This record gives sequence, C-alpha cells and structure tokens, in this order.
Amino acid sequence: MFEVLFQNVKDKISLTSDEEELAKTLFIPKKLKKKQYLLQQDDVCKYLTIVEKGVLRSYTVDDAGTEHILQLALEGHWVTDMYSFLSQEPAIYNIDAVEDSELLLITNRSLDELYEKIPKFERFFRLLGQKNILSLQRRLTGSLSFTAEDKYLQLTKNFPDLLNRVPQHMIASYLGITRETLSRIKKNLLKDH
Amino acid sequence: MALKQTVAIIGATGNMGSVIAKSLANGPYRLLLMAKDTVKLQQLYEDVHAIANEVEQEIIACPKDACWEADLIIFAVPYSAEAEIAEKIKQYTTGKVVVSISNPMDKTFSKLLTSSCKSAAEELQDRLPYSKVIKAFNTTFAANFEHPVIDGKQVDAFIAGDDEEALGIVSNLVKTVGFNPIIAGDLSVSRILESMQLLLVQLGLRYNYNWLAGWKVLHK
Ligand SMILES: NC(=O)c1ccc[n+]([C@@H]2O[C@H](COP(=O)([O-])OP(=O)(O)OC[C@H]3O[C@@H](n4cnc5c(N)ncnc54)[C@H](OP(=O)(O)O)[C@@H]3O)[C@@H](O)[C@H]2O)c1
Repeated sequence: MFEVLFQNVKDKISLTSDEEELAKTLFIPKKLKKKQYLLQQDDVCKYLTIVEKGVLRSYTVDDAGTEHILQLALEGHWVTDMYSFLSQEPAIYNIDAVEDSELLLITNRSLDELYEKIPKFERFFRLLGQKNILSLQRRLTGSLSFTAEDKYLQLTKNFPDLLNRVPQHMIASYLGITRETLSRIKKNLLKDH
Repeated sequence: MALKQTVAIIGATGNMGSVIAKSLANGPYRLLLMAKDTVKLQQLYEDVHAIANEVEQEIIACPKDACWEADLIIFAVPYSAEAEIAEKIKQYTTGKVVVSISNPMDKTFSKLLTSSCKSAAEELQDRLPYSKVIKAFNTTFAANFEHPVIDGKQVDAFIAGDDEEALGIVSNLVKTVGFNPIIAGDLSVSRILESMQLLLVQLGLRYNYNWLAGWKVLHK
C-alpha cells in the first residue's frame, strides 16, 4: 500500500524505519473506482495525492462542456489542485480515476505535522516541487511552440506507458488537439516507419 | 453539486445497518454495503434501490475492501464482533471517520459489558488509533428510523467525539436520517451515552414502550 510512496521518497531522502512508520499514520489510504471523482470543481481540494496504483487525471471543463486535461497521473505521480489546496478556496480542476486506483492522500494539516516531525520531508517536497516546475515549463513550452506531432512524440518519449492505458480522446485532450488530428499524426508516423 | 461521500456500512444486513442504509439512500452519499450473508445483502440492495433508484451503492463482501474505499465507516456490528473486525481493517482507517453505534449490553439488558472507566467508542478508538471515532446513533432504536418523530417531537440523536470536522460530518449524517443531532461533547462522553441507552432499554421493558421511544431534551 505504501511501496510507491516510499520508493518515490527514497529517490530523494532516506528514512529510518521508525520514520516510515510515523509517515504511514499521516496518509489516508483510499481506493477509487474508474470514473469516480476525487475532487469536483468548486469544492475545496483537501488533499495532496500520490498514485500508488492506477491513473488519475486532472482537468477543467469549458462552457461548451469540453474537457481539457492538465495532468495524467500514473503510479508515483502527485496530483492536486495546488491553488485550492494551499488557499482552501474552491477548486477549478476536477480530478477523477481513469482506471481503478489506489491512492494515498494527505491533508494540509497532516503535511505540516509531517514537516514538523520529519523535517527531511521539507527537502523531499522542495525537490519534488523543482521537478514539477521543470516538467510544467517543458509542457508549457511544448504547448506554445511545438507542432502537434512534436507534442505527441514528446509524450510517447516521456510516458510510453500512458498511451496504452489511457483512451485516445484523453490523450488528444492532454495534448490540446482534436481526436482527428491525433489519429492523423499516428497514421503518418506509422507510414514513416 | 458537491462530491458524494462514500459510506461503508459494516454489518449492513442487521437491524441497525439496514435502517441506516435505507435512511441514507436519498442523501449525498455513495453506499458500500458490507456483511457476510450475501443473500440478505442482495435483498437490502434491492430495498435501498426501491427507495431511491438513483442511489449509488455497492455490495462488498470484504470489510477491508469496504473500508479502503470508504471516506466514512459505520460499525453496525455487535459489540462482541468489533475487536475482530477492527483488527482486519485497522490499516485502512487512517484519517477516516469511524462511527461507533454500539451499546455494549449483556443479554438481559441488566448491565454494560465495558469496564466502568471506558466506553465501547473509546475502546474502538484505541483499536483504530489513527482514525477519528465518533459516537452516534446509539441512543436511537432501529425502530425509530422509520419514525424519527415520536409523539409530535423530533427525536434527539447525541453525538460525541474529539475531532471538530468529523463531528460536523456525522451531524450531517444524522440530519439526513431525520433525527435532531446534538453534539454532547468529546469521545469520553460516550460513557454517558452508552449508559443512557441501557436505561432507555430498561425503561422500555418495564413500561412496554415497544422500542418506539427516544430521547428529547426539553429546553427554552
Ligand atoms: N437494534 C437497535 O435498536 C440498536 C440501537 C442502537 C444501537 N445498536 C447497536 O448497533 C449494533 C448492531 O445492532 P443490531 O441490532 O443491528 O444487530 P444485528 O441485527 O444482530 O446485526 C448485526 C450485523 O453485524 C453483522 N456481523 C455480526 N458479526 C460479524 C462479524 N464478525 N463480521 C462482520 N459482520 C458481522 C451481522 O451480519 P451477519 O448476519 O451476516 O452475521 C449483521 O449484519 C450493536 O452494536 C448494537 O448495540 C442497536
């Protein structure tokens, strides 16, 4: 239940077994079935979540009802509506499960307790934050200046797994292109090989 | 529309479990019905569906899976079964609200089975140390759920616990069922609440209330 979390943590800091036991008491274990929500837009986002198993997505819905996916979170990825989580103001994102998922959730209050009792976690989340800003910058640049095909290729390179686990319309939404464009790109790439 | 809370009812086929499930059918909850007898569970599932055909509910045979998926867990099992079940689900209750409804009485309703210094709710909290145990629904009989108004008065339902947010969540649950929630104090107040119900059972037997009796605080 905590394997992915502690693997994720071990990449950046080392914990004693006592510290691991203590950390376990602060994360809420939660199973979510496919299509169920973890967060709905306009609710307050109470948790920072790590995916132990499964896939989550965070997305907005525009006035026409079209979904725009911000993040597809696989095992070991962290997901939240950061603004809502920090400010306790209503969320702009929805988060739901693309597959049956097993998650660990932590509240703001428990996160403070974690920092206080195991200060090393401040370092962990600093490094995690850096990594996330980096990938957000890459994603933003990609979305501003890449062609649809380049965006698709970048995704296949970074998350080869994702393409088999997530329906095509979600991949298209994540890339900010239509489903038709996505299938055209895939066809062209096949031709080129 | 706000997100539905997922409520696991452990012992859903019992007197209390089944009336709680039915009373929550129209509320903002997704129900996970857990008990050992799958035939009875299926019947309950259909009964709940007949009350609210849009209800989101699932039958789950394993207490561990039900608690893992739940946001809130109602322990609707006999006091004597609590220790065994708590052991099975302990890991999956961290940070979650657990409702203790039990009245730890002997078979003749002459005394409480807990030691004089602890309530069943506090024992459950000791067994599930990282959950937020709230005492509720122990001062209302199963028969009251269909008639939350007795003699023209809405029955009071006392709640006790240590976590403010969890008390609020359970107050809403009690309101949905149709009782008037009264937060009585911290979890140690459960000792009084469990004793109160022993008294009400004894009075019911003495004066033939036929289980249609409840508490109401009169005040101005
Ligand atoms: N009845 C009332 O008016 C009332 C009022 C207030 C509070 N309470 C409290 O509510 C609790 C339940 O009372 P009740 O009258 O509803 O009892 P009940 O009708 O006997 O129901 C007990 C339920 O628990 C299940 N169960 C028993 N042992 C189990 C185990 N080891 N593992 C999993 N499930 C188990 C039973 O399922 P199976 O049939 O499949 O075993 C059944 O669904 C008790 O603690 C009682 O003190 C009752």
